[in-house]
Amino acid sequence: MSETLTTPQFAGSVGVPVLEVDDLHVEFRTTYGTVSAVNGITYSVNKGETLAILGESGSGKSVSVQAVMGILDTPPGFITSGSIRFHGEDILKMSSHKQRILRGPGIAMVFQDALSSLNPVFSVGHQIGEMHRAHQGASRREAKAKAIELMERVGIPAARERVNDYPHQFSGGMRQRVMIAMALALDPEILIADEPTTALDVTVQAQIMELLSDLQADTGMGLILITHDLGVVNEVADRVAVMYAGKIVESGTIDEVFTSPTHPYTAGLMSSVPQAESKGTRLNPITGQPPNLAAIPAGCSFHPRCPHARVGSAAAPGRDCAVEVPDLREVRPGRKSGCHYSEELYGE
Amino acid sequence: MSDSREPILVIKDLVKHFPLTSGIVFRRTVGQVQAVDGVSLELYPGETMGLVGESGCGKSTVSKLMMGLTKPTSGQIIFEGKDVAGMGRRELRRYRRQVQIVFQDPYASLNPRMTVGNIVAEAWEIHPDVVPKKERSRRVRELLDLVGLNPDYVNRYPHQFSGGQRQRIGVARALALRPSVLVCDEPVSALDVSVQAQVMNLLEDLQDELGLSYLFIAHDLSVVRHLSDRVAVMYLGRIVESGSHADVYDRPAHPYTQALLSAVPVHEPALRGAKERIVLTGDVPSPANPPSGCRFRTRCWKAQQICVDEDPALTDRGQGHPSACHFAESVEIVHVD
Repeated sequence: MSETLTTPQFAGSVGVPVLEVDDLHVEFRTTYGTVSAVNGITYSVNKGETLAILGESGSGKSVSVQAVMGILDTPPGFITSGSIRFHGEDILKMSSHKQRILRGPGIAMVFQDALSSLNPVFSVGHQIGEMHRAHQGASRREAKAKAIELMERVGIPAARERVNDYPHQFSGGMRQRVMIAMALALDPEILIADEPTTALDVTVQAQIMELLSDLQADTGMGLILITHDLGVVNEVADRVAVMYAGKIVESGTIDEVFTSPTHPYTAGLMSSVPQAESKGTRLNPITGQPPNLAAIPAGCSFHPRCPHARVGSAAAPGRDCAVEVPDLREVRPGRKSGCHYSEELYGE
Repeated sequence: MSDSREPILVIKDLVKHFPLTSGIVFRRTVGQVQAVDGVSLELYPGETMGLVGESGCGKSTVSKLMMGLTKPTSGQIIFEGKDVAGMGRRELRRYRRQVQIVFQDPYASLNPRMTVGNIVAEAWEIHPDVVPKKERSRRVRELLDLVGLNPDYVNRYPHQFSGGQRQRIGVARALALRPSVLVCDEPVSALDVSVQAQVMNLLEDLQDELGLSYLFIAHDLSVVRHLSDRVAVMYLGRIVESGSHADVYDRPAHPYTQALLSAVPVHEPALRGAKERIVLTGDVPSPANPPSGCRFRTRCWKAQQICVDEDPALTDRGQGHPSACHFAESVEIVHVD
């Protein structure tokens, strides 16, 4: 086994962001009009840290990481502005050759639906080993040996016998392990996991989340976890960014965001989740529907659904929720909120 | 809810095996997928019975059997004291009127070429006596209003609605025949959290208002916990544990229930890691070839020789509620979320 796969590489010192996304905008230009999927998001991921991006369907969470990974469908998708820096260097300004070298050892990704993400006509061993063949020029034999080792590492039993099996011969949980093995093949510094457990049953979900945490502890990689599941976020993440209508509306550490949200959307999400001993009590969900991204409401995109929205004469000067777009601003150290009235509503 | 009342619907030893065939010209049966293998349930008027299990455990087959969409291999479905299999045409019609279903996928279960008004009113073509012809357009509007949709939307098509709104249309359609039992087969699992909560509230309100009984089928334990009076846990075609809400969630006796509950991620940051997690090894075995004896034994940490030899029956083993484990032992679960 090569050194690179087992030895953690601490390139930068701990605390320095490996990946920085700055004011990223992505839009889809379709015949029916322009859809603004991502409207200026900023975040960073440090070595060994887990950042969760939490949002409902259509919030732009997947598109934002597709842009980072360079797998956005162009056209119709275009990155219109912003930067994505990996160790300080802007990926968007790199040559496509350099971008390609980065994918794998730099940033790797695990997709939601393992069955449709794996190629059905190649064995899993071939697909895992392909990473070494493409990036390191490994021979077939070496690639297969590495594939077996990776399969063992992600907990696929009888890896030696199963290396020549095809994706359809694996169960959902095992397929997701194959995906993780592929992503880990070149020991990435950043692993993006896009809804890695959404298609899985809860007992299998627990296995996969445990595997990801263990692997992260081993390798010291940074993990970006895209999910809509508040429970999963709470279990594994260090920091969370909550997305709504293509924007981050709140970010901070898990403890802070979950115990004292500073944005009405986050607060609404929390009270939408059924809790213990709640039989007979009513849930208190957010009313209405998430907005159409082709026609995002003016001002704060959440204001039509917001119970605290202040519009017109009720609004403070310069903070009319239906007119002025709130910035994501620091309300206390390490804690950002994109609500005009965060201080009034949620105290300091 | 209380046992003194007569159950409205009883399922007894329901079995559904799907044949596995091989060959095209000379078709022969090479095996059986034991989707449902001896399930018994009772549903009382006005209560919600939750049926939880992971994918492939047979919970949706139970709902199809109840709706008469597939015929059981053996076993009985008894509605208001009468066996559905022995019902005549007229009685069966009545049964089909009384028991309605809300499907999981709000995108696939509504005909895209019909307006919402026609979708909701369609069942009255078959049961014209439920609402007289003159009343129908008014009744459709009432139903849309009841499920929280704007009654002016009657002439719109399903694609003009969001997922949550479509699920409301599905509920309105199910209510059109004034049923007494509603089978909800994963009605909220395709919806986002905030919309999911809206639909759950709607289902609860309708139950209070109309006195409906729900068989609520879901894989999401917290959703079932929120809505159900009693809960049954299914694994590989069998019920492994059943009981009141508190029995199953606070004092689970079957190892599978315990593992399932421990696998649910908690939402409280302060309690992260406070819960002892049981991570099961392996996957659910194929229902075409289930393990001998106890079906959970291949993933169970308590399994011994007796589990291989003897199939544990679903009976009360001293925990106050039935469970199907030779080594059933109540574990007090302190809910942390």
